[in-house]
Amino acid sequence: MSKRVLPEPFAQLECWVERWALDNQNARETVRRASSSKELQAFYDAMVGEMDGIISHLNNFPLDNMPPLQARLLYLTLSLAEVTPHVELYRGNSRVPYSFEEERFVADHGAVAHYLGNLYASA
Amino acid sequence: MNKLADHVWARTYPNLGTDAVPVEPCISDEYFHREKERLFKRAWLKVGRIEEFAGPGSWKLKPMRIWDTSIILVRGNDDQIRGFHNTCSHRGNRVIWAEEGRGRSRNFFCHFHGWTYDMQGQLTDVPQEEEFLDSFKRCENGLTPVAVDVWEGFVFAHLDPLPRQSLVDFLGQAGARYSGFPFGEMTAVYSYRTVLNCNWKVAQDAFSEAYHVTTIHAGSFPDGFEAKLCDVELIGPHRCSGIRMTEQGPNPSPIAGLAHRLGSSSIAKPGMRTELPPMINPRRDPAFAFDLAVLFPNFLVHVMDGLYFTHQFEPIAVDKTLWEGIQCFRPPQNAGERFSQEYGQVLQRNAWLEDTATMEATHAALSSGAKKVMHLQDHEILIRHSYKAVEDYINS
Repeated sequence: MSKRVLPEPFAQLECWVERWALDNQNARETVRRASSSKELQAFYDAMVGEMDGIISHLNNFPLDNMPPLQARLLYLTLSLAEVTPHVELYRGNSRVPYSFEEERFVADHGAVAHYLGNLYASA
Repeated sequence: MNKLADHVWARTYPNLGTDAVPVEPCISDEYFHREKERLFKRAWLKVGRIEEFAGPGSWKLKPMRIWDTSIILVRGNDDQIRGFHNTCSHRGNRVIWAEEGRGRSRNFFCHFHGWTYDMQGQLTDVPQEEEFLDSFKRCENGLTPVAVDVWEGFVFAHLDPLPRQSLVDFLGQAGARYSGFPFGEMTAVYSYRTVLNCNWKVAQDAFSEAYHVTTIHAGSFPDGFEAKLCDVELIGPHRCSGIRMTEQGPNPSPIAGLAHRLGSSSIAKPGMRTELPPMINPRRDPAFAFDLAVLFPNFLVHVMDGLYFTHQFEPIAVDKTLWEGIQCFRPPQNAGERFSQEYGQVLQRNAWLEDTATMEATHAALSSGAKKVMHLQDHEILIRHSYKAVEDYINS
């Protein structure tokens, strides 16, 4: 048996880890833009029914010191946040319809791994 | 049709008039030059947040293109934040060798000839000082200061080191109405920027009304917001208003609903808005969505329960603007709150991608000269006020 990459109760989501368990926003955006409507929908469908259970599970762990399996699961939920508007609001379009060129928006926090909002922590 | 509307804001603020507004101020090089010299070099401008200056020696190098300089902002040992031109007193070299950045140090050392300054900007060391002639006195050659002051944790600077109006007087009642809002607790930051090829007012105007929501935000906010402003207050050159939800409010999708339950992190989340200072949403209207204020000349603040966000439109040229949009939340305490913030901030980012979609084409079209004026409806009163405030300040 191969090594677990997600907590046991969510083992059925392990097939999504390689593509979507991404620890920073820039990576999540890039994969979302590169995905087809079908791929976005499939990831959304796999996650949406699990979210209550996932959040209940993850809320037992400290956000700033998550074990690796839980951190991966958190990154899947953040990818779901990235993907959701495209499924629920933009009819499967992997870009924002009628919008500015997304690639020209620079997110100051975009490359920070496991970002928790502390943008100025390094100073 | 016009006769049926009561034009509440035109009646409330008759001095703004009802004429179409000329577009010349958005496209004229000569007007831009006057804005630069007569407005931006004579006004308090937001340059940061106190959280960027964690302790003594924390500094930020900020380009101030509209002032033709860059400034070092630094917290001293006395905790005060000061600002200086990034220019050595010797022969004008850049003291910090960068365009922009952040750091922490005990002093600033010019890499040209080794002149050294402390955190108060005083010149503390000059190699071979004895070789300088009588005209040079070390104590008179500190870094050139700019004025710096702090309002609600926002750091502002003024090019004149001794401005005739203090920051608190400049903001006046427009600043006072935020007193009590917990800006200082909302230190989880999502910060976006881009350079827009348009005039700064074209960009800022797009965020100064709610008329656009049903069309430009048909994707990200397809329902739930009213196109009319409420509680408009024009306070000197500053302007404030409220944005309301419709009676039904936004219809949350499954994941939006979950994000709303887990945290307080979206303008589309209905709530009682109980955290707000008394002058914001003064009628405690449960349909209130968020407060929209433009602090003159180019700083927008939107506050609501549980979060706030700001925009700044920094002019670079008549047709070039650095836009910065920053969303701020309380630091997430668990995964549910983190997820909720991510959903809220991503959707808001997408809405900003919709807002910015029109600006460059609008500027190009205005530059063609095809249209000499823009027509503003009653609920675009903040834009009407903006052009008058700029004109009045330039002429003052």
